[in-house]
Amino acid sequence: MFFKQIDLTTALRPSLISGEELLFVQDGVGLYEGKYKIPHCQQGYAYLTSLRVCYVDEKEPRKNSVALDLREVEKTDYQAGFLKSSPKITFHPKLPRDGHQLVRLADGRIAVEGGSSSFPVSRANSPRRYSSFPPPLPPSNATWICPICSFSNPVPSKFDPSNANASIPLPQCLACGIKPPLAVVLKAAVAAASKRILPQHTDEEFSGNATSTTDDPVQTETTITCPRCTFHNHVSLPACEICGAPLRSEQQHYPMVNGGSKPRRAESPGPQLAELNLDDNAELASVKISFRAGGDKTFHDRLKGAMTQRKWLLQSAPSIPSPLSPSTTRDLDNETGLARTPITRPASTPVGIAGLERRGLEMRKNNEVVIGTAFEDLEALMASAKDIVALAERFAIDSGRNAAETSLVFSESAAALGMVTTKDKLDSGSDNLYLSELSRNLAEYLTDDRTGVLRAEGGVMSLVDLWAVFNRSRNGVELVSPLDFHKAADLWGRLNLPVRLRRFKSGLLVVQRSDWNDDKTVQQLKAWLRQLQQIAPAEEVHWEWSIFGRGVSAQETAQRFGWSVGVAIEELEMAEDKGVLCREEGIEGLKFWSNFLVEDGSDAE
Amino acid sequence: MATASSSLTTSSMFTFPPTYSFPPFFSPQPNAQTRSAQLSKWSSLVQSYCRHHRIFKLLLSDALESPLFHNSKLMRRLSAHDAKAVVDYMTSKEGGNRAEWIGPATEKASAWIWWRRPEEWAGVLEAWVDGTGQKGTVLTLYELVEGEATENQEFHGMDMEVLRKSLGTLVKKGKAQVFGGEGQEGVKFF
Repeated sequence: MFFKQIDLTTALRPSLISGEELLFVQDGVGLYEGKYKIPHCQQGYAYLTSLRVCYVDEKEPRKNSVALDLREVEKTDYQAGFLKSSPKITFHPKLPRDGHQLVRLADGRIAVEGGSSSFPVSRANSPRRYSSFPPPLPPSNATWICPICSFSNPVPSKFDPSNANASIPLPQCLACGIKPPLAVVLKAAVAAASKRILPQHTDEEFSGNATSTTDDPVQTETTITCPRCTFHNHVSLPACEICGAPLRSEQQHYPMVNGGSKPRRAESPGPQLAELNLDDNAELASVKISFRAGGDKTFHDRLKGAMTQRKWLLQSAPSIPSPLSPSTTRDLDNETGLARTPITRPASTPVGIAGLERRGLEMRKNNEVVIGTAFEDLEALMASAKDIVALAERFAIDSGRNAAETSLVFSESAAALGMVTTKDKLDSGSDNLYLSELSRNLAEYLTDDRTGVLRAEGGVMSLVDLWAVFNRSRNGVELVSPLDFHKAADLWGRLNLPVRLRRFKSGLLVVQRSDWNDDKTVQQLKAWLRQLQQIAPAEEVHWEWSIFGRGVSAQETAQRFGWSVGVAIEELEMAEDKGVLCREEGIEGLKFWSNFLVEDGSDAE
Repeated sequence: MATASSSLTTSSMFTFPPTYSFPPFFSPQPNAQTRSAQLSKWSSLVQSYCRHHRIFKLLLSDALESPLFHNSKLMRRLSAHDAKAVVDYMTSKEGGNRAEWIGPATEKASAWIWWRRPEEWAGVLEAWVDGTGQKGTVLTLYELVEGEATENQEFHGMDMEVLRKSLGTLVKKGKAQVFGGEGQEGVKFF
């Protein structure tokens, strides 16, 4: 429940749903489930949006990226760093609707407390409740006390006191991060092992009349016979002392506090979990994000803000009812409510010009009311934020009709993109993170199919043009400095993004899809020039156009392929450099021809 | 109208290679590979043009206005600088030593175009002498190039200077001897 798999964009960032807004990004974070590290989720980026907290793994982002919805978070705790332990933020999940409360037991386990029914009995009778809330931690009772900070740490269940030696890697103290001496852990494990029979008895008492799963004869014995070598092992040992064969199922091995019949998660390999389970059944008690590269304070601040604002409520909220037509049936999930209102009017739809005019009038009045009520007080504005934004966008479009079409598209796209990285969204200290985020942002912007910026430019775009367009799409705020822009573009290659920066011989920097290369460009040019051999030139010419075709200027090329002239010149010169084209410097300027100087040596006498 | 000149132009029209009507042919190419292909095409054009018109000594200033370097139909022409570059290329080893500048190296106003190199001319002369059984006889240079006996030969009407150069190569090899004074030289083939 708590963690969900997420979709990533082409630039390996979480793809946002409509209305979602990016609030903060931090790199160098790891995930914990309870007290345990989640494997493969220890080095990545944390994205805080208005609706979610996303973790995107650095190594395998497509595989190990998860998110949790803020709406499912009951509360968050902030834990400052201590010695080697990084600062962490803990997310506690919300309860199911039936009003039960989570009680955190002393050892970190979670129990469900019923509303009215008495504690143990109701528990045994309603397995559903704890099947949805199984204790998250492996109930290893053994704890060792850190000699440095005296924090009680769980002994890893894998830890076998009988064959422990110095070479076994020991977990660090969860509080201070210092490795304990072996003796301390050993002592704790042995002490715990000797005490372990006790909870099993209480277990049986608790489960009482319920169908008992614990009446295994082995349970009452003080030794377990190894099924492989028949050695009599101590009852608490998980594996045979002599041959190492596993001795018993974990149900017998791990006494359950609640007596639930549901099998527990497989044994926990120390402070790290075997794997991240995204099952519905595998519910997590709490989730921690460890901030190993700082940024925790800002993250927590923004998180608090997001939790207070509760943007998710806005998402599912109906827009304000139209005062003009209270009977109008409106979709609750309407997205373009304003425009649709008059259309969904059920009866007596006036037709003709009168109908159109009436419709227009109604819409204007509705807009008036929306704006009027919205600005009455701040609360109302917040409530109708969605409508206002939609309205404002429509106004912007209407007024922008006369402007160049491109600027319209771009301003729209920026709004639709919604994921504009700004320095503000990141900690000021982490310049690298800003650049990598900006880099991803740019890659997304370029490859976004809605705008097709790169496609419109014929697949190649000079960096300067991109910078101008990108900044324009930000509507004049939060502009990116050329230096940052250049650095971000340089990062594309390293971040494995689908675009790349290319430097022409002259030093001109262009942006290209990473799967595009010179050969493809050359093929394009060649095909075009070959095509020109079929077409008679407009004016009479004195050469055999059916053999030589004709020369093309950079302007023509730019027009033909949608490149900018600068790019066209560079591409032509690149092709010339490869010997595919040759040049003609005439009174009409520089023109490029298919290279017949090299291609055929037929007329050499 | 001089008969000599009319015979040059009317003998038959020189057919230019197709590249001659390819506009980029007249622009210097920056790509090294294309450039060398272009120059070698120019070199062969200059040679065949000179052979056709029996030009031994190319005066650049004249040639620039001639159809060789000026395609009036196409309205393209080779600049003086580029023409020099072409001849330069021809004089180089890379261009097969098919030309030789006349006068000081800085001037570069005219050049020998070796559509047949002096050694090659020497071979032709020798073959002719051999074929006509004139070994040991003394021939004047004038006789060689303007005499009736050589009318059908390739070296008929040859530039005196070129003749002297080619005979010089024979002398070096000891196959001929040149004697006599200026204007009345004779040659004896061995």
